Amino acid sequence: MEAARIFLVGLADLAVTRGQDMVLCSGPLGACLGIAIYDPKAGVSGLLHSMLPDSSIGQARAEARPGMFLDTGINALLKRAYGLGAHRENLLVYVAGGGRIMDESSFFNLGSRNYEVLTALLAKNGLSIHAEDVGGSANRSMQLDTVTGEVRVSSSGVTGEKNLCKR
Amino acid sequence: MQAIDDYIEKVRYLPPAPRIVPELMKLLNQPNVNSSRVVKLISYEPALTANVLRVCNSACFGGAVPTTDLQEAVTRLGFSQVYQLVTAASGAKLLVAAQKGYGLDHGDLWKHSVASAVAAQIIARKCGDEQSLVFTATLLHDIGKIVLTQSLEKIYAKLVRETEINQASLLEAEQKLLGVQHAEVGGRLLERWKFPPNVVSAVWFHHAPKAAGAHQRLAAYIYLGNMVAHFMGHGYGHQALAMRGRDEALTILKLPPESVPEFMMESFEQLNVVESLLLAA
Repeated sequence: MEAARIFLVGLADLAVTRGQDMVLCSGPLGACLGIAIYDPKAGVSGLLHSMLPDSSIGQARAEARPGMFLDTGINALLKRAYGLGAHRENLLVYVAGGGRIMDESSFFNLGSRNYEVLTALLAKNGLSIHAEDVGGSANRSMQLDTVTGEVRVSSSGVTGEKNLCKR
Repeated sequence: MQAIDDYIEKVRYLPPAPRIVPELMKLLNQPNVNSSRVVKLISYEPALTANVLRVCNSACFGGAVPTTDLQEAVTRLGFSQVYQLVTAASGAKLLVAAQKGYGLDHGDLWKHSVASAVAAQIIARKCGDEQSLVFTATLLHDIGKIVLTQSLEKIYAKLVRETEINQASLLEAEQKLLGVQHAEVGGRLLERWKFPPNVVSAVWFHHAPKAAGAHQRLAAYIYLGNMVAHFMGHGYGHQALAMRGRDEALTILKLPPESVPEFMMESFEQLNVVESLLLAA
C-alpha cells in the first residue's frame, strides 16, 4: 500500500469522504470495532473506530468524540455519508475487530457486547453487514480503499491480510 | 524453578539489569526522599541524566530558566515525576526490541507495556493505592517474554496452532511447548535483578492474581491494566487476546464489572497525554 494514500482514523474517531483517492486505515482494534461503509454509486467511503457500545456512560465525552461510542458513532458516520450523497440501499457495511479474551464466565465480554449492539444499531438503520471478520483472540486492523472499495483486514503476528471484499 | 533458571541462563542477548529502578523503588517507600540520593543514582547513567534535563527544560515544565544542573532538575520535577521518567526510560530499553517468537514487531511490546501501565495506574488511583509502584510493576509485567522469545521463534508454527486451533491461552501454550511460561519467568528474572518481593510476586501471577497471596492487589492491577490495554487494541503479537478471564481481579479490588469501560475512557485520554513523553523514551 502506498504510504501517500494512507489516511489513519484513530481510536474513537471517524472519517467520511467522497471522490478522494485514499486508503482509510484503522489502528489496531482489540475488542473495539472498525466499521467501514462504501457506496459504489455515490463514491462515498467511511470508517469508524468505536471503543464502547453505549454513550449513556459518557455523554460529555460523546459530544466531544462521537466516534468513541457505537450509538453516537454510527449516527455520525451515516449522517455524514448521507450528507455526501450516499444512499442507504447502496451502502455496503464491513465490520472487523470485537476481539474477545477467553472468558467462560463472560465477565469481561466487551468484544461480544460491542458486536451485539452494532448489529442492533445497523438493523435500526435498515442496514446489514456485507462481510465481517470479528471475535476470537486476534487483534485486527482494517483498511478501506476509497477507489476500489476493497476492504482488507490484517491481524497482528500474522503475515498477509484477509480480503473482505475483492471488487 | 530449575527449568526457569535454565531458560534465563541460556538466553544470549539478555539486556543488562535496570539497576537503578529497584534502587529507586526502595526510596519510594520512604516518607521524605533525599533528593541527593536520587541525583547520585541517575548521574551514573548519562543517557538518563540527559533525559531528565530534557524533560525539565521542555515546554511542559517551562516558565523557568533552562537548567543544566541535575540536582536542580530533580527538584523542579519532583520525585514522582523523575521516578516515572527513569522507569519509563529503563523499561523502553528492555522492551522496545522485536520479539519474533511472539510475532511482536519493534516497539509492539513497549507500546503494550506503556498502555497497560497507564491503565493500571488509573485503576490504582481510583482505589486509593500507591500509583508509582503499580505503574512500574505493570510496565514490566511481560518482561519474561524477552527470555522466551528465542525458544518460541523456532517453533512459532506450533504456538500458532496451540492458540488458534486448540484454543489454548498464550500462557498454556508456552507451558505445553516449553515447560515454563512468561509470567513466572518474568517474576524470576525480576527477583534476580533485585526487585522487591511484591513486584516479583505480582508479575509472576499477573494472569492469576489470587495466587499472588499477600500481593494479590498489585497482581490484580496488572491483570486489569493488561486487559484494558488489550481491549483498546494495545495488545500485539499472534492471538493477542488469548488470555483467560479472571473475575477475581475485580473482586480483589472490590470493583464492579461496569468500571472497565470507565477505565478504558480514562486510559484513552491519559494515553494521549503521556504518549509523546513515554513513547519517545
